[in-house]
Amino acid sequence: MKKLFAAIAFASLAIGLAQIPASAQESPSPAEHRRLFREGAELWPVYCNTCHNARPGSEMAPYQWDLIIMHMRTLGNLPAGDVRAIVEYLKAR
Amino acid sequence: MAGFARAADSDTSAAELKEIKSEMRQMREERKRDREVIRSLEVKVQQLESKDSRVEATTQQLRSTDQKLQETTLELQQTNAQVKTLQTKVEAPIATSEFGDAFSKYLGTHSFTVTGAAGGNFIYDQQSSSIDGLHSASQNSFFFDWEPMILYRPTDWILFQGVISTAFGSTGTGADLSTADFQIFLNDYMTVEAGLFDQPFGDWYETQSPMWVNRFVTAPLPFGVEAVVPPAELGVQLRGGMQFGALGQDFDYTVWGGNGPNFSSSVLGAALSGPTAVANSQTNGKSIGARFRVYPLPVDSEMGRLELGASTYNGKWSNGNWYNSWGVDFNYFVGDLQARGEWMESYRQMPMGQNTDHRQGWYLQAGYFLTHLNVPGLPDRLNGYIHRLEPLVRYSGVNQRGVSTDDIGAATGVGQGGFQVGLVPDFGINGSPATWAPHSREVALALDYWIAPSIVWQNEFDIELPEAGGLFVSSTGAETPAGSIPNDHAFLSQFTIGF
Repeated sequence: MKKLFAAIAFASLAIGLAQIPASAQESPSPAEHRRLFREGAELWPVYCNTCHNARPGSEMAPYQWDLIIMHMRTLGNLPAGDVRAIVEYLKAR
Repeated sequence: MAGFARAADSDTSAAELKEIKSEMRQMREERKRDREVIRSLEVKVQQLESKDSRVEATTQQLRSTDQKLQETTLELQQTNAQVKTLQTKVEAPIATSEFGDAFSKYLGTHSFTVTGAAGGNFIYDQQSSSIDGLHSASQNSFFFDWEPMILYRPTDWILFQGVISTAFGSTGTGADLSTADFQIFLNDYMTVEAGLFDQPFGDWYETQSPMWVNRFVTAPLPFGVEAVVPPAELGVQLRGGMQFGALGQDFDYTVWGGNGPNFSSSVLGAALSGPTAVANSQTNGKSIGARFRVYPLPVDSEMGRLELGASTYNGKWSNGNWYNSWGVDFNYFVGDLQARGEWMESYRQMPMGQNTDHRQGWYLQAGYFLTHLNVPGLPDRLNGYIHRLEPLVRYSGVNQRGVSTDDIGAATGVGQGGFQVGLVPDFGINGSPATWAPHSREVALALDYWIAPSIVWQNEFDIELPEAGGLFVSSTGAETPAGSIPNDHAFLSQFTIGF
């Protein structure tokens, strides 16, 4: 059982490590910005309130949301696409 | 006749000649005048020709000037258009995202911030009588706790986070390292978290224990002085989430391995403490854990958000004895209502043939924001205060075969939940002896006043209702029946800011 667990973990890590991005993600287009904003506005009150009161984007600077949303993505195991939408909404305030 | 005729002819010819001469003279004069006229005309023609060339030159100049004017007009139009565009840009507000991107570039690619929470509280704990002969007395005291969280992001796929818990608690001022780990985002579905982290078992330790997130001042009993599952682990996690249906229908997983659980002693009912220490001789047996959660309701359904989860954590303690635990949890919120609960169970193999250390714990809580309650007859201002209120109720309990009296008598560490033991209140712990009962039960009533989404004044009244049964275990392993334990009450008031 332990060996199976270790093998699965090792294989997962190998797959993941091979996909580490070499550089920062490209900025989305204006149309993509608008789509993410709309989706983020829909998800923000739902996902954040699952654990705590949803805090408005105006509470933090945009660069701070970049850090906080990474931490929240880990804690909440949030889907990456949804995280991109929520941070777009938070940063636009 | 002929002569007369000739004479007559001669007179006629002379007259004619004279006339002819006169005509010739006239003709010469006319010719002379004509020449003068011609000369004059030639002069005029020359003058006209000269004028014409000048006119042509002028016309050419005019054409050239006109062309230049047209070109200048076109340039002017283009300039006007550019000016208008610039004016529009200047007059229009700068998009926040653009400003944010620009500001982020200014700050650099490595970013850093501090979040966390701070809180101060007052705890009054009515201790009705002693427990297992240990001295007890009603207590009241102020406490303060500050838990800064440092976030450092060197790139968009690596994050470091660390939380230091500092407090003035039951043992005076102190600080400890709550969590410190790296988070490496491998792809959209996999994140590695490595370091000292909150136990990702159920929801409490990871997401509900921060003081501004916890709707109550205290932790539920299974996460207080009699923890069923270790509060933290030192190791590595692999975790992620994904959407399996419509927006909001998600699934997530967390698997991890670490140094394993650690207990205050080898006797029955010993309290769980931090993860097995680094370089400890008892680190040969590691731990593994897994948690899976599903969110079945789509966002568009407007039926709220439901979370259903299951967790397991297993490992070795004391270098060979096994420890197994599992639990289930739920969380549901819709509109102003939120409810959550967890149930967990653990088994610890005891050395020297002792019976298994079996523990169970649970809690169920619900809260309702009065955001939409308007009391008729009350002024808007007072209704505004009511809208900020959230009344809550929680029922929690723990069942375990025995409790170590050494733990009851000790008071070590600081911080909310988990590590704190002792018969005194502390941050997140009301200090009641009844919470140490092997079969402890508690009803907690709370009224939160939300000043802002992360600023809250909380008031809690605890009713301890321990059930009889179970054992008290001395440091030598001697067991005595716990007997009946008095029902205590406690009042806690806390002001908290999440930042």
